[in-house]
Amino acid sequence: MRELFPAKPVMGFVFSLVLTLIALSVYFLDLSFTAGLTILIVTAFVQALLQLIVFMHAGESKDKWAIYGNVYFMIFIALITILGTLFLLIWDM
Amino acid sequence: MEFFERFAIPHPSPAIYAAMVAIGLTVIGIIAGLTYFKKWGYLWREWLTTVDHKRIGIMYLISALIMLFRGGVDAVMMRAQLASPEAKLLDAQHYNEIFTTHGVVMIMFMAMPFIIGFMNYVVPLQIGARDVAFPRLNAISFWLFFMGAMLFNISFVIGGSPDAGWTSYFPLAGNEFSKSVGTNYYMLSLQISGLGTLMTGINMITTILKMRAPGMTLMRMPMFTWSTLIANLIIVTVFPVLTVALAMGTMDRLFGTHFFASTNGGMDMLWANLFWVWGHPEVYILILPAFGIYSEIISTFSGRNLYGYKSMVGSMVIISVLSCLVWAHHFFTMGQGAASNSFFSITTMAIAVPTGVKIFNWLFTLWRGKIRMTVPMLYSIGFIPLFTIGGVTGVMLAMSAADYQYHNTMFLVAHFHNTIIPGVVFAMLAALTYYWPKMFGFMLNERIGKWAFWSLSIGFVLAFFPMYITGLDGQARRMYTYSESTGFGPLNMLSFIGAGIMAIAFILIVYNIYYSIRYSPRDIGSDPWDARTLEWATHTPVPEYNFAFTPSVNSSEPFWDDKKKKHKLFPGKIEKIHMPNNSGVPFIMSSIFFVWGFSFVFAMWPLLIISTIGIFICMAYRSFEQDHGRYITVEEVKETEEKLGGAKL
Amino acid sequence: MKLDHSQPLEYSTHENELNIFGFWIFLGAEIMLFATLFTSYFTLENRVGSGPSGAEIFEISPVLIETFLLLTSSFTIGLAVHAMRLGRQKAMIGFFVVTLLLGLTFLGVEIYEFVHYVHVGAGLQTSAFTAMLLTTLGTHGLHVTFGLFWGTMIILQIRKRGLTAQTAGKSFIFSLYWHFLDVVWIFIFSFIYLKGMM
Repeated sequence: MRELFPAKPVMGFVFSLVLTLIALSVYFLDLSFTAGLTILIVTAFVQALLQLIVFMHAGESKDKWAIYGNVYFMIFIALITILGTLFLLIWDM
Repeated sequence: MEFFERFAIPHPSPAIYAAMVAIGLTVIGIIAGLTYFKKWGYLWREWLTTVDHKRIGIMYLISALIMLFRGGVDAVMMRAQLASPEAKLLDAQHYNEIFTTHGVVMIMFMAMPFIIGFMNYVVPLQIGARDVAFPRLNAISFWLFFMGAMLFNISFVIGGSPDAGWTSYFPLAGNEFSKSVGTNYYMLSLQISGLGTLMTGINMITTILKMRAPGMTLMRMPMFTWSTLIANLIIVTVFPVLTVALAMGTMDRLFGTHFFASTNGGMDMLWANLFWVWGHPEVYILILPAFGIYSEIISTFSGRNLYGYKSMVGSMVIISVLSCLVWAHHFFTMGQGAASNSFFSITTMAIAVPTGVKIFNWLFTLWRGKIRMTVPMLYSIGFIPLFTIGGVTGVMLAMSAADYQYHNTMFLVAHFHNTIIPGVVFAMLAALTYYWPKMFGFMLNERIGKWAFWSLSIGFVLAFFPMYITGLDGQARRMYTYSESTGFGPLNMLSFIGAGIMAIAFILIVYNIYYSIRYSPRDIGSDPWDARTLEWATHTPVPEYNFAFTPSVNSSEPFWDDKKKKHKLFPGKIEKIHMPNNSGVPFIMSSIFFVWGFSFVFAMWPLLIISTIGIFICMAYRSFEQDHGRYITVEEVKETEEKLGGAKL
Repeated sequence: MKLDHSQPLEYSTHENELNIFGFWIFLGAEIMLFATLFTSYFTLENRVGSGPSGAEIFEISPVLIETFLLLTSSFTIGLAVHAMRLGRQKAMIGFFVVTLLLGLTFLGVEIYEFVHYVHVGAGLQTSAFTAMLLTTLGTHGLHVTFGLFWGTMIILQIRKRGLTAQTAGKSFIFSLYWHFLDVVWIFIFSFIYLKGMM
């Protein structure tokens, strides 16, 4: 029975719950916008990395460079699209 | 009867009625022909159910050539209308429909299938593989493209063409200003073929990264394969953006949402923004494989390997990243602030640098080479100066402050045709000529080919260079006429003559195909151009399994080394070969997608639901299917190899 | 088909290697799909027209329940893959079924949430903000729904054919899909709900 609940996924699950709770603090506490947003960004990205590395086994096959490269490239372009759009349509208007 | 009224054309004209008749006759003719020659079984077995990358590539190419005809007819009609001031050939509505379909057809249904066709045919052969990574998915890609194209193409006879430009900006594309179903066709046909393209992206990247012959490291791949890899990386990055944008546009038109509307908080500029986040990388998706083709052709016909392999690769990587950073240059004038415009100005100008590196590398490849002026080489050499001019006008447009003068004038129209035609179309025609003997076992006629090249080039210059001048003089784009007093008349007439000469070039190309089928000798062997890369190490015609032996690669020009330096390209012995089976599911599922799209266009909800379920049933069938392909036995391989001309070299 | 016995079952054939790799590329494309939705959401977030804003309609309880359900389901599908690698077919199916049930419950809560929004005047046609909110949440929800059907089919195939290279490969790919949807939810949770309720 023990072997069905290995340490890494269990720890990962607990850690992701912790990160969620930390993110929740922006709802329950009265923080400035910047502080709140920073907490959200950090917890979200850390949890995403956790999923990627621990749960999705991104690093375990010989394709890991291509996989990581692809994911990081997409995240990079995603951020550019989001920030570029906000810059164009909302902030620099 | 009222139910059928929705399919009527809102603005019929004699030309449209004539087209309806022509389409009807063609369809009847095809059905009659297939029946008379008893070819239905052949069609189903060999083409509709094929998963062979070579067959799929050929189908893409045939589709592209047919669409080139349609897009070209649109172009000639526009040029005819604008040849004289206040001409009455086309009214404004028809003109709008024609420039819209011209743009969509040429980019999405001519250029894309052209390059994807070559990617499909050539890349597995260039890397020494037997097929792409996902042959079934490849078939789905083609048929989804085909059904998307068919859906778009029937719009002008059923329900009405889209007429809001190939960019389909809101609020023009919304229900208030585009009442016919035309824009629905736009949204849905692009959605369907876009899905196919995304699947091609996944397929090609996996194929190139995981299925290269032993010894072919990334830095030994042929340049066309490199350009395919990078173009497909851009595809998988930006086609999802189009998917979302089209979905939101569909919802605005059919579900009453307010994404891009002018009321209830909608933002019309969001459409333009999302469209160009996709749209700019799209043109790099088109040009990078074209650059790859030029690299292959220039090195083959200079008798030298390509100069600057590493910088060629590096420049394409830089171009792909930068291409995702420049999109706002398509709407410099739309009200964003100076900081945004400046940023995008700089990135746009920066993209000229890696492109310039490539041009110089091609020139250095030509320098002191043993030049052979074949038709593919003519196109490649014509490309260099013509594309450079187009690129330079791009840098002019890149200066956002100056762009306020050029934006949406004929100057812009001239620029993008100046990059796409010498850039992409020349490359496709060069590739068609270059790979024709490998695909079909005979050469296209050189003489007719040269006439076609010169007519196309001269026609192109005559058609488009005057537009630079009229654009600077103030002629706007997408305007169906102009008054005599503007003085635009004479140069527009020159453009029309140029367009006519380009039409002659197209006719010559078609004639070349006919003439060559009839008269070209069929004993040209498998390496008629004395080429350098692996795809030429196959027999002609290429057997189903491509290579009997897995090639062993030790340089970036393995075939050349095999010929000249006695590198043993095919060590080892023949083993049984595992091949995928044909399948009817891609064709069937895509046909259901056609019905899905059609019912969506006309808001026929019951049919939409049924076809959606049908699509999912096809997917479920595939999931439960246990089809592990078949084996070609060693005896069969040996037999085929002997028939085709013995063991290779 | 040659099996490489030094690898976990799902990597053991060349075909599976290709399938898994291709699916990772597909997930990259999905990152951009959801990025576009987020782009549009952040652009239209404050354009509420005459309708309500996020702060006015979001409720923390259903959101917390949904988050907990998905996080747990991501954990259980991970356990399913681990059980699969140990060859424990029954345990694997068990964890798999739990995953899908958690996903189904998630959908139930989300449907309740949507009905609630419509009731308080935040429907699809109300404003740009509501349209974007419901489309973003809805796209994620549709992905989950598709996953439920897909997962069920895989379970049926495992029951019928056992743990073969094919079923193992499909299960692993499904787990990638499911984890990805959880990652997307984390971003929805953080940047749509929590940010909107700060």
